[in-house]
Parts: sequence; C-alpha cells; structure tokens
Amino acid sequence: MMVLLLVLPLLGALLMLLWPKVAPLLTLLTAAVCSLVALQLVSRVSEQGSLQILLAGWPSGLAISLEANSLSSLLILLTTVLQLLVALYAVATYRRDKLGAGFWPLSSLLQLGLTALWLSRDLFNLYVCLELLGIAAVALVSLSGDKAIKPALNYLLLSLFGSLCYLLGVAMLYGAYGVLDISALALQWQANLLSSAALVLMTLGLMLKAALWPLHAWLPAAHAAAPAPVSALLSALVVKGPLFILCLLWLQLAATTQAQAMAPLFSFCGLAALLLGGIAALRTPLAKNMVAYSTVAQLGYATLALGLLLQFNQPLFAAALWLFVLAHALAKAACFLAIGEMTATLGGKRLNTLKGASQTMPLAMFAFAVAGGSLIGLPPSGGFLAKWALLQGLWLQGDQLLYLLAIVVVTLLSAAYVFRVVALAFDRAKPVKPDFAPHIVPQWLALLPALAVWAMTLYSEPLLRLLKQEGL
Amino acid sequence: MSPFWQQYLPLAIILSSLLPGLIIFTLKETQVKLRISLNLLGVSIKLVLVLLMWQAVKAGQQFYFSLPFLPGADLVLQGDALSLLFVVLSSVLWLATTIYAIGYLEHSPLRSRFFGYFSLCVSATVGLALAGNLVTFLLFYELLTLATFPLVVHRGTAESLAAGRKYLAYTLSGGVILMLGVALLHSLVQSPLFTPGGYVAAVLSGNEGLLMLAFALMITGLGVKAALLPLHGWLPQAMVAPAPVSALLHAVAVVKAGAFGIIRLVYDVFGVESMYALQLAQPLMLLAAATILYGSWRALAQQDIKRRLAYSTISQVSYITLGVAMLGPLAAVGGLVHLVHQGVMKITLFFCAGNFAETLGIHKIRELNGVGRRMPITAMAFTLGALGMIGVPPTAGFISKWYLGLGAAEVEQPWLILVFALSGLMNAAYFLPVIYRMWFLPQSGPWPAEQRLSNRFETHWMLLFPVIFTAILLVLMGVFAGTELSPLSWAQLIVEREFRHD
Repeated sequence: MMVLLLVLPLLGALLMLLWPKVAPLLTLLTAAVCSLVALQLVSRVSEQGSLQILLAGWPSGLAISLEANSLSSLLILLTTVLQLLVALYAVATYRRDKLGAGFWPLSSLLQLGLTALWLSRDLFNLYVCLELLGIAAVALVSLSGDKAIKPALNYLLLSLFGSLCYLLGVAMLYGAYGVLDISALALQWQANLLSSAALVLMTLGLMLKAALWPLHAWLPAAHAAAPAPVSALLSALVVKGPLFILCLLWLQLAATTQAQAMAPLFSFCGLAALLLGGIAALRTPLAKNMVAYSTVAQLGYATLALGLLLQFNQPLFAAALWLFVLAHALAKAACFLAIGEMTATLGGKRLNTLKGASQTMPLAMFAFAVAGGSLIGLPPSGGFLAKWALLQGLWLQGDQLLYLLAIVVVTLLSAAYVFRVVALAFDRAKPVKPDFAPHIVPQWLALLPALAVWAMTLYSEPLLRLLKQEGL
Repeated sequence: MSPFWQQYLPLAIILSSLLPGLIIFTLKETQVKLRISLNLLGVSIKLVLVLLMWQAVKAGQQFYFSLPFLPGADLVLQGDALSLLFVVLSSVLWLATTIYAIGYLEHSPLRSRFFGYFSLCVSATVGLALAGNLVTFLLFYELLTLATFPLVVHRGTAESLAAGRKYLAYTLSGGVILMLGVALLHSLVQSPLFTPGGYVAAVLSGNEGLLMLAFALMITGLGVKAALLPLHGWLPQAMVAPAPVSALLHAVAVVKAGAFGIIRLVYDVFGVESMYALQLAQPLMLLAAATILYGSWRALAQQDIKRRLAYSTISQVSYITLGVAMLGPLAAVGGLVHLVHQGVMKITLFFCAGNFAETLGIHKIRELNGVGRRMPITAMAFTLGALGMIGVPPTAGFISKWYLGLGAAEVEQPWLILVFALSGLMNAAYFLPVIYRMWFLPQSGPWPAEQRLSNRFETHWMLLFPVIFTAILLVLMGVFAGTELSPLSWAQLIVEREFRHD
C-alpha cells in the first residue's frame, strides 16, 4: 500500500513527460487514486497500529525502511487530497492563467517527495526527499515566467544551502555512530559536543527550508511570485516537510538536556514569527504577500508548540502542533486559491483590488473569510481546536501568563489582517469591476478546503486522540 | 412528547432560520417573492417549534441534543426555562423585525445578502440561548460576531466601514478573552452542562485565585457585548447600520447575548454560593451601577435620536447585569424580566426612529417638533416605549424596576435604590422633552426629506404594523404581568428552579 503511494506519482510523472497532452488527466487520476489509497492507509493504521516495511526484501539496516504511523498516514492523506484539489483548480483555470506544461509532472514529483518524506525514518532518506522537494518547488515557482526568476533563484540558493547544512550534520552523525536510522541512532545517542553541533547544523538548515523565523525572508517573495495553485501547494505542504524532520530530530533523537536547552529558543522564535509575521501581513499592500506573510506567522504557532512540547513534555502540545499543521494546510490552500482567483478576475496584485469583492465575487470572498476564521482560531474551526489544545496545555501547566497574553495579542493580530481584507470587500463605494465574468468552479474549489477545515471539528475527538498519543 | 422530538427539537429551532438563510444567499436580487416567502416560512416554523418547546418545558420536560466536539465538552443544545426566555424573545421579535426589514429595505440593493446574514444572526442568537455548556456558548457567541459584522457594514459607506472595524476590534478582542477564560475554567473543571447552583463549588478550595481570574476574564469578554462601562465604545458608533439592524442589535442579538451570558455565568456556572464565597458579586454590582448612571448621563447630551437611544441601551442593559449581580431571588426576577421588557421597549423605540428617518428624514431630536400630528401612531408608540423606559406604570418597564427595587431592599443594598432613582430621573430628563416636542410643540419648518410611502397610513404598512405590535406587547406585558402568560411569571418560574437547589 505504501509502495503504491510512492510508485503511482513517479509513474504518473514519467508518463506525463511521454504524453504531455494527457498530463492534466494523469495528474488528476494519480491524485485521486492516491487519495483513496491514503484513506485506506489511515483507517488501517488507526485499527492496527503503525505499519513498517523494508523495501525489496533487504535486511533491516541495509534496506530503505518505510514506517506509517497515524500521523504520517494523516499527513499523506492531506497531501494527496490537497494535490487532487489543486490539480482540479489548475485544470479549471490553466487555459486562462497560461500555466506552464511543466506544472503537471512537477506537482506529481512534489507529491512523491512529500509522501516519501512522511514515511521515511532514516536521516539520509529524509535528505533525499528534502532535495527532491526543494528542486521541484523551485521549478514550480519559476513557472510564473520572468518575474519569478529572482525569487526562484533566491529560493534555490537558500534551499541548497539549507540542504548542505543538513547534510553536514548527517555526515557528522554518521561518522560518530555509523547508523542513520533514527530509532537505531536514538539508542546510541549521547549528549556531547559533537551531537549538539550536528543537531544545531541540521536545525539551521531545516529552519531555513521551513521558513521559520528568523530564516523566513525568502518565503514571501517566492510564494507570492508563484502561480496561485503552486503557492497553495507550497504554503500548505512544502514548508511542513522540513518542519516534520525538525520535530523528528528534537523529539526522537535529542537528549532531554539538549531539548531543554533548545526549547526556549524555539518558543521565542515562534512568538517572534507570530508577532512580526502578523505585523508584516498587516502592512503589506500586496494581496498574495499578505497571505504569504500569514504563513510565516502561522508557522510560528507550530514552532511555539514544539518549544513548549520540548520544555514541558505535555502531550497536549503535540496535539496542538499537528493540529496547527493540518488546519493551516487546509486554510492556507483555500486562502491562496481564493486570493489567486480574485486577483486574476479583478486584475491587479494590490489588496485594493479586492475592494467590493463581496459583491462581485461573493463565493471566493466567502472562502477567504471562512479560511481566515480558522487562521484566527474562531470556533468551530480546525484552528480553534489547535488553539484550544495549546491553551489547555498552558493553563494546566500553570503560571504561563506571559505566553497566554502573547497568544491573545497574536490572535488579534491575525484577526486584524484577515478582517482588513474582509472589510475592504464590503466597501460598496467604488467596487472594482471584474475584467471578465467570474468563473464559478474555481471559486467552489477554493471554498472546499475552507469548509473542510471547519469540518475538522466534527472529528476532533479521534484527531486529538491520535495526535496526542502519537506525538511523533 | 416522543424522545425523538426531545432530542431534535433544539436543533430544529436553530435550523428553521439557518436553512432559509443559506438558501436566501443563493437567490438572485429579483426573486423578491421567493425570498420573502422563505423568510416568513422560517419565522413561522420557528415560532411553532418554540411554542411546542415552551409548553413542554413548562410541564417540566428537558430537551437535550449533543454532538461530540472537544474532549470533555460536547456540543450541547438544551432547552431549559432560562434558555426559553431568550428563545421566545428572539423568535417573536425576529418576526417583527423581519417584516419591518422587508418594508425598510424595499428597492435597496443587495437584499439577498442582507437577509441571508439576518437569518444567520438570529440562528446564532437562538443557538446561544440553547447552548448547554460554556464551550457551545462560546461557539455561538463568536458566530454571532461574524454574522452581525456584514449587517453593521451593510451600507458600505466609509462611515459604516469605520464603525464595522471598531465593532470587530471590540467584539473579537472580547471573544478572545472569553475564550481564554473558558479554557481556564475548562482546565479546572471541564465544561459540564449548565446546572442551577453552578458547578465550580467542587474545586473551590485551593483554586480561588484561578477561579476569580476566570470569572474576570469571562466577564470582560461578555462585557464587551453587554456594553459594560469601559467596553461600551462600539455601541454608539454601530448606529450607522440600517434601522432594523440597530433594532436587532440592541433588543435581541448582540447586547442581549452579553447580558444572557452573564446570567448563565453567575447562576449556572458559578452559582450563588460560590459567588458569595469568592466575593465576586460586589465588583460586578459596582460596575453595573456605574454603567447605568454613565449611560443615562451621556444620553442626556445626545442630539441624534439613534445615538440617544444607544446610550440609553448601555444604561438599560446594565439593569439586567445588576439584577443578576445582587444574587437575591427578587432581584433576579427583575433582571430576567428586564431582559424581555427592555428588548420589546427598545425595539419599539428603534422602529419608531427608523420610521421617522424613512418617512420624514428626521434624524435629530430638534426636528421632531410636531411630529405627533403627522405620524400619530408612530409617535404614540414612541411615547409608550419612552414611558416604559422611564418606568411609568402600567408599562412593562415599571414591572422590572419594581422588582429590581424590591430586590435591592431584600439583599440590603439601599444605595442601589438611590442608583435606580437617579437613573430614573435622568431617563425622564432625556425622554420627556422628546415626547413634549412630538406632541406639544408646533412643526418648526418643512420636514427634512418627506416621502409618501402609503396612501392609507402615515407610512408604509410594513413599517407601521411591527411598531404597533411591539407597542401593544409592551403595554400588555405590564398590564397582564400577573397572569400565567406574562414574562414575569416565566421569570419567577426560572428563579424558582434556579434557587430551589438550596
């Protein structure tokens, strides 16, 4: 089952290169089949516990091993479903938006990279996935044409630098311990200077690739320059890959003393991201940059939850961390698709373009507002579940008033930038006229993930149970 | 009644306005008849369902519906006596406001959007009334904020957008603080059902500080919507909304949601004994008394009719809070019954203000001279509403103030009677001159912008009938306060059930 999830997108990508004409159809087909398989994987894992396979029958230690626990299977499901949705959106708009033919195979490779990443538990395999992911992402950004060359190059260089840092750390660990499988490595782990140095190097590289504050500077330009479906994939999924590895490192490898030393730093970075990213989102005059800065800010929640998890070892924070990841992925995909659709139809990149959009494009605006509700953390959305878990953890820990206060401030900040757009949309004085009659299907496709993130609360009980026990 | 009904009736009451609302969103502007029929169908179904529930609750039945939501806090809808008080109020006034809004917005653009959000707003209010625990309450409280924002900015002018931003800044901050408080309380005792007598007593010892903090946070959060003193700033500015929206905001939806939340918090979460043990009542009482006086004082100086009514709301809603904070049964009756009475009186006044503005273009108080001759029915209704606000018998306002006064004597807080007297005087001082102008001064010039909306009546019948309906209602509630159908007897029933546990 897991192999199928890897082989299908690879096969799809190859076939697309051979028959470019049927590429959209093939992308849809792979994504749809993979979604079904992923769904089955989720139900099987939740019934039988985590599954592990060794590729090609090699003995453990030599073979590439894949492990699907409930978190991985959920993330795979998320990846494939979003892939399907974005592909549908791309099919609905690619004639109008002149999306390059490269989109189809590249997005399939992206799906392959992500799926493999969620399943790998070996430092070197993870590196390979990371590289695949990075290259595919850069190529996707550059689909926008000339104006995207500079951000794409920037992204490429920083991404390669991040990978190198990570690889250096991996090499140091391999030299010292001779194994790269995470669970095997964890058994021999010693908290010494070498392992600390390796951890710091890898963390730096991963933070750069995940755009965690203060290494986020490349993200807004790259995500804003990319075509709308690509931005949706990048913000929703790609940045979560390095974050996943980061969590693996610190939760499974690092010794308690190392984790304790790093925890406040993560918490601080998270708060700073929330605060500064939020302010930047509030100030930028460009629509897509606003959404991109909001990604920087929202990643801060995950970093903060990671920091708190390392510090207090409270399972609620693990739940909060992954709920943020899931909720943000769905909400951000909806935001980018909605904003992309509105800017394309109303013709302009600035936020002012959205003036009066609640009259001209009510559906897309509604999608943005609904997704925004989850970003703010209004009940009953996925963002609320995550925030609730975070608040519960903090209150149970006791004496964390500073964090609580900070959460209130950043929640209001996110409300400010979401409602800045919504208020603009209700301006009736001089609504911007659409360049052509708004298309209905892409707007519905933007609305779907937004509704899904609110529907997450219906499954809050099983979700919380799975994520809390799993941690990682 | 079968168990099936008992389970799904609360849900059906919410859906009866939610579903028509969602359908209305998809309608075209030109489908006027379909939209109006959907609206009225929703209202009628809701009223019938509410009536059913009312009968059953009176007979002592309980309604309970739950969905799994957060661990330790399901999404619970339940119909008890207190929730019905608010449900009946909002459903009946929704009927009046819907008819009024149809008349008021005739020929204006974007009506599908307006009525869609209008229905969502009522659904959120009713959901809030039926919420069975704090988490469910929080959920509907936030939904209410979201549903009312588009109504406040409906006109889409710079002024209304500014008001909308201010409204959001206040209510969202309040919502976040409320969430913080609910989360704190949840971490201490989870979120069980609202129970008469409260549920925090079990964890009282050792957690006094945290419980007080939770109470303070939640009162702050609720106080924003209830317009308690330092948090009232959004209310006067939100007046730029169309008249039916102001009426709804002041009488039923937003302000009342805050007041209703305070009632739930004091009686069904903390309970009288814990309130005494933590000494939380006194500060709340002081705050409410200060708001009453401040609102009345500021109302005196307002020259705009709607602004004067807005400050009057700030003052009058705090009567409810004060009645609750006194923690005596008689005061509680006064506070609860004022929830209904204030709603009916204030909606009458806002309808009248809207009629003056629509028909004659009157917005300022000095333009009202002699309006009694041109629009006698509306002016009569305004007079009745104003007299009710002052507390003149036999209007409904007298009943609530009487019980509040008795309650103050019962809990031995004589200074509160002074507060009531002072505020009553100020009420008279800002309402009587208006009445005098309407009836006894001659018309000072041509009306600012007169429109003939009807050949037979003084204004469009859809603007007139709701006013007549609510004006008659507010007199009836006063005159027949002693009968079984009155809000007063229902408030007594609630108080009996709330205080029976001890």
